[in-house]
Amino acid sequence: MEENNNKKPQAIVEVIEFGPLKISGNFIIKDLKRNKEESPGEIWLCRCGKSNNKPYCDDSHKK
Amino acid sequence: MEKDENHFSGGKRYRNKDITVYWKPSACVHASYCYRELIEVFDPSRRPWVDMEGASTEKIIEVVNLCPTDALAWKWNDEEKNQDVRADQYNHIKFRRPGLMQDKNSVIEETPVSVKVMIDGPVVLKGDFELTYGTTKKVVSDGMISICRCGVSDHQPFCDGRHRKTGFNG
Ligand code: SF4
Ligand code: FES
Ligand code: FES
Repeated sequence: MEENNNKKPQAIVEVIEFGPLKISGNFIIKDLKRNKEESPGEIWLCRCGKSNNKPYCDDSHKK
Repeated sequence: MEKDENHFSGGKRYRNKDITVYWKPSACVHASYCYRELIEVFDPSRRPWVDMEGASTEKIIEVVNLCPTDALAWKWNDEEKNQDVRADQYNHIKFRRPGLMQDKNSVIEETPVSVKVMIDGPVVLKGDFELTYGTTKKVVSDGMISICRCGVSDHQPFCDGRHRKTGFNG
């Protein structure tokens, strides 16, 4: 029997060099620490650990 | 919003978790059996006019089988089940529109990707998505990855567990 090979990528996940993680498309973000759940369509998540607005990037990585 | 996947050559398709219903407007003679029987699902005044969540799968099959033309046809999303459908299912695609037996495309999973921001840890992505980092671009299918959020992983962009040692707070 054939596999279900019709799964289409639902979101684009892009690791921006020396910057955040960009996610766009059909996704649900659950933030366990701040207890939030939403599906905003597009986000930039901090990867440097320095943002003051976690989990989002606030450009602190440029400093 | 209507998605493009609902269009296929010669009409539209609608699905719930069990079945896919095909509609071929050019064949519809508006005999109206479908909406007289099941307005919850087939409502010509609504867009899209077919609402697959409006009734049970059994009921939808029953009403699709009433259509006197090949305007409406149906099939199981589970391909194996389509093989042994019996002839009393008049409007199953096997009898009504055999050409559609090839239409594997009708099982389209659109489960949103799960993005979980772990407490003081990485972000865990689960599902079907496209991932790019550096010069790498890949399609992750029903997979799971953890991206480092603390900035200290030695295995960037992935989490290697170091956030625990450095006491990352995020
Ligand atoms: S029963 Fe078939 S022909 Fe009649 S209105 Fe519905 S789809 Fe069209
Ligand atoms: S990646 Fe932009 S603030 Fe951390
Ligand atoms: S989040 Fe795990 S190593 Fe950075």
